[in-house]
Parts: sequence; C-alpha cells; structure tokens
Amino acid sequence: MFEIYVIASLLLMVNILVGLARVLKGPTAADRMLAAEMFATSAVVILLLLATVSGEESLVDVALVFALLSAVTVVTFVSRFWIAGDSGKDRRAGGDS
Amino acid sequence: MDALVPLFDALLGALLLWLAWQSIFAADLFRAVVSFMIFGLLMALAWVRLEAPDIALAEAAIGAGVTGALLLSALGRLPRERYAEAAQHILSHSYWLLFWAPVVLLAWFLWSLEAAPPSPPGLGEMVAIHQPAAGVDNPVTAVLLAFRALDTLLEIGVLLLGSLAIWSLGPSPWSTGPAMPSPALPAMARALFPAFVLVSVYLLWRGSHAPGGAFPAGAVMGAGGVLMLLAGARPWLTGGEQGPWRWLLTLGLGTMLVVASVTQFAGYVFFQYPSDWSGRLITLLELAAGLSIALLLFALYLGGQPPVRWRDRGWQ
Repeated sequence: MFEIYVIASLLLMVNILVGLARVLKGPTAADRMLAAEMFATSAVVILLLLATVSGEESLVDVALVFALLSAVTVVTFVSRFWIAGDSGKDRRAGGDS
Repeated sequence: MDALVPLFDALLGALLLWLAWQSIFAADLFRAVVSFMIFGLLMALAWVRLEAPDIALAEAAIGAGVTGALLLSALGRLPRERYAEAAQHILSHSYWLLFWAPVVLLAWFLWSLEAAPPSPPGLGEMVAIHQPAAGVDNPVTAVLLAFRALDTLLEIGVLLLGSLAIWSLGPSPWSTGPAMPSPALPAMARALFPAFVLVSVYLLWRGSHAPGGAFPAGAVMGAGGVLMLLAGARPWLTGGEQGPWRWLLTLGLGTMLVVASVTQFAGYVFFQYPSDWSGRLITLLELAAGLSIALLLFALYLGGQPPVRWRDRGWQ
C-alpha cells in the first residue's frame, strides 16, 4: 500500500531534477522563479507522502509552513525584483550565461 | 520498495550537492539566489529523512520565508549593471582549497565509517530521564527552554544585537520604496495574513508536545509581516521613540532574564524553575520569545531604522 507513495515521492524528486533544467537555462528570471515555486509545491507533496508513509504527523506541519511561505518568496520576487527592471534587461542578464 | 528509499536519498543528496555548487558558482546572481532557495527546500527534506522534524520545521520556516525574501530584496536593490558584471567569478587557489578540503574530509569520514551504525551519541538518554521534571512533553522544547535555556537566551540576544546593528546603519530603504501598482497583492495579503497568524499560534501551541515552538512560530509571523509590507501596508513598527515596539523587541530577552533572576530569590540557582511552575513558565517564555522573534525578524528585513511615520500607501 505504501509502496505507491514511495514511488510517487521518488517520481516527484526526479521531477525536481528535470525541472532544474529550467533553472539552469532560464531564459528569464521569471522562468527560474516559477521553477523554484514548482519545487516548493513538489516538496509539499513529498512531505505529505512521507508523513503518510512514516506516520509522523509533524511533517504535515512542515508542509503547511512550506505552502504558506512560498507565497512570501514569490511576492518578494514580483514586487522587489521583477518590477524593478524591465524585462528586456532581465532577459539579457539571465539568458546569455 | 527497499531499493527505492536509498534511491530517493541518493537523488536528494546529489541534488543538494549540485545546488550547493550552483549557489556558489552560478554565472549570475539571480540563479545563485534561486539555487540557494531550492537548496533550503531540499535541505528540509533531508532533515526529514534524517528523522529530525524539528530542524526540518526550523529550516522550512527560516529558510523558505525570511531568507528568500531578504536575498531577493537585496538583489532587487543592486544596480542591474553590477548585477550582470558579477557574473564573472575569478576563483583564486584559496577558494579551491576551501572547496576541496571539506570534500576530502567528508570522503575520509565516510570511508572510515564502520558498517554497523554506532550507538547514538549525545545526551538523548539523559534528556529522556529528566524530561518529566521540565513539565513539557516535547524533548526539544525541554532542552531549548529548560535544560539549555541559557543558550536560547543568548540566541535571542544575538538576534536583538543584529537588528540593533542593522538599525544603526541608516534609514530603512523600504520606507520610500515604490508602491506596488497591482491591486492583486493587497487582496492576496489580506486573505493570507490571517493564515500566517493562525499557523504561527498553532506552532507555538504545538511546541509543548510536538515539533514547533517559538522559533518557527516567530519566523512564520515575521514572514507574514514581510508579506504585508510588500503588499503596501503601513507597518505598525516605527522608528519613533514613543510606542510599545522597543519593549516588544526586547520582550523575549527581558522575560527570560527576569525569570532566570527572580527564581534566584526563591532559593533556586540561575535558570532553575520551581518544578510545579516549570510547564507554565516555559509556556510564558515561548510566548514572549515567539513575539520578540517575529518582530526581530521583521526588523531585520527592514534593513535599517524604520521611519518615525510610515508614508501612507493607500491602505493599512
């Protein structure tokens, strides 16, 4: 029964590995940020799966904290970083490296 | 299934190493910051796999919340030209020494590990024996606020010193920052902030019998404050000399010092609690420390002394 949960969390981890390509290639800062947000969502799901497998209830709290705080990161990105520069410069700074 | 769990762990470890490498040597700063944030995310998962949910919670609360916001805000303030120039890292030989020395040490350590797991070191058994005297069910809280309360006192002292030092650097750069024109942000912040308060109180309450406590609770609350600031709210924390905020910033340190000293008059040693009162005193200390930590982290995020009067940005 729990085997499917372990397989699912492994798949999500592979998903993170594949998603890292978006962090590497970009091309814009927003692509990288969205990939990081996708990882936060994956981490929440992995934590919930691990909580079910191990029976450790406190992992649900960790998932809850992650789910809440990833909003702060993305709001900071939008209001402090992304708006601060025009997207053209963003593309150049992020894309050619 | 037995082969899948080590595979999961190996993938997690390899990703952590790769992200650590990226966050130091990435070609541009934004990619380094994003790598560092993902590193924090996966580090929390690693702590979970090491069966340390308390540390995972602290890593999630501090790493995912205030650290990411601080790094992104700092990056947003850098001029774009400098930001692009920073892409060229020049690595001296000392850097490589710093990198390879721990790797070699770690390899040697792994190689010299015995096949059988060693007996658990540390003071876990002593904590388990003496925990009923502390009056709380969670061994981590018992250590943090009863057995090693002096360490916690000093940690909160360091946070207070840090925010004092930052405030002495000059006015906060966010006091005159551009307001976010999007109407979505204030609406989202209004909807989310109650959840931050609720989760923070919940974590504080959980701390007496399960992973949680003042530090994660304070970090979640502080991140909630950062969210409101970003959404354009006028913070309650001001640089004016009047007002309760100075007392609240020092509340955690002050309460701990008062509790530690007052019990001396009743014939106990420094930081020894009367055994009947221990549970209640720890709850009081957690409450005071949690409130202080939330405000201190928010004050750290401000990056300077807040103005005496915040400019009204349309809504509060």
